[in-house]
Amino acid sequence: MTDKLARRYRRLLLAYPRAYRRSRGDELLGALLDAAAPGRTGPTVREAANLIRHGLRAHLGRPASRTVVVWAVLTVVISGVFSAAFATRAGWETARPLPRTAQARAMLAEILPGQDFTGIHDAPALFVIYGQPLSWNSARDLLFGDGGEYDQSGIAGVASAPTLPPQETVELVQHNLRAHGWTVYSLKVRDIYTCTEPCDPGGQYTTIVAQRGDTVFRMDVYSPQVPISTPISAGFVRATPFAVYPFGLTGGILGAVVAFLLFGWASRRTEGRHPARGVVKLLLSVTLFFWWAPTLYAVPWMARHYQDEPNPSWPPMWEWLGQPTFSLLFLIACGSALLGLALAALPRGDREPLSTAAV
Amino acid sequence: MKAMREPTFLILTALAGGPRHGYGIVQEVQVVSGGRVGLLTGTLYTALDRLSAEGLVEPDHEEEVDGRMRRYYRLTAEGLAALTAETARLRQLTTAAEARLRAVRPRTA
Repeated sequence: MTDKLARRYRRLLLAYPRAYRRSRGDELLGALLDAAAPGRTGPTVREAANLIRHGLRAHLGRPASRTVVVWAVLTVVISGVFSAAFATRAGWETARPLPRTAQARAMLAEILPGQDFTGIHDAPALFVIYGQPLSWNSARDLLFGDGGEYDQSGIAGVASAPTLPPQETVELVQHNLRAHGWTVYSLKVRDIYTCTEPCDPGGQYTTIVAQRGDTVFRMDVYSPQVPISTPISAGFVRATPFAVYPFGLTGGILGAVVAFLLFGWASRRTEGRHPARGVVKLLLSVTLFFWWAPTLYAVPWMARHYQDEPNPSWPPMWEWLGQPTFSLLFLIACGSALLGLALAALPRGDREPLSTAAV
Repeated sequence: MKAMREPTFLILTALAGGPRHGYGIVQEVQVVSGGRVGLLTGTLYTALDRLSAEGLVEPDHEEEVDGRMRRYYRLTAEGLAALTAETARLRQLTTAAEARLRAVRPRTA
């Protein structure tokens, strides 16, 4: 019976770092068995949760530190979130290619019959920067200020000579969309210019958004007062594929686990007399600043920007993290993190093995 | 001086009587606290790691009983000083509180 209990305690002690288990495992197990009521065959839930919690704390080393847990949480959360964002990008690869020109024309003819649309071209990729798929040639644009141009692409066209007045166009399009199985979202009517003080808004435009399966349709219809040569624009993009969600969740968890283990390893390596102890701390601060600052800036901005959008899909996750607009800062932070890890791997100054030191 | 958390105070108090092993500390803490505080093993060892890193406790000796490894811990001179200071701080607070309670409820305080 005691053997069974001991085996189960040993399994829970796997939550502690290996070096810790090697030096203190038998002692901990002895204390656990001493404290167990006679006849017990398994740990209580409270005991199990307690061992897992303190085992994870032991991974961070620095037992006297009151801030190491905060640094670890900041690192694990942001790493998990960035990993999830990368994984969602991979998930987007499962999306079907965008409709080709002929198919887009046929769908537009179904939605607004008799209207001639021009400027429709096959999209080169699901995501583009300045109309081109991402490549090494676009690295400069991506890193040095124009990362915001990396966006989901679509296939769209414009109409220069509307066959119907704007209001009738909107009503006909809504009717036809519903008739062909599209889910039509509520209309958005907006001024051309947003004025903080009384001014001429310069006319209005109406946005119609609808979704059918994995295709999202969007049409903007401008009022006659707007001095624009193409008063109707319409096109299709892909809705967020389902795979994005499991990809994001899995990627986020994996990233958080790896970040936790690496943080704990570096923290234990650099406790005590380590030649790069101060530099590693500084590099961690730099990393966290350049990962968190764009995120904290982007999240409220995105929330404000998209709260009125009639978009059935959320913007891609990386945009919520300020990426790739701030991709240069992200890369600097990655470099800082890697340098910190490399410095943490330097031989320690003391030969005395600490109870919680990494090996 | 920073106030000590209650579990820390109780662990140091448990070791004031002499070296004790992990479960011995748990038992003594229960006695000292009148059965109110029951330390779980994970919590105790995290506290012992912290107190060792702060130089307040240190390992004393090891023994094996019924095939179970026991490591005993003892207070260091710094640990004894910290416990003495905290005890004085608590006594001063208790004395002040008692004086005020006596003034408000002379019979019950």
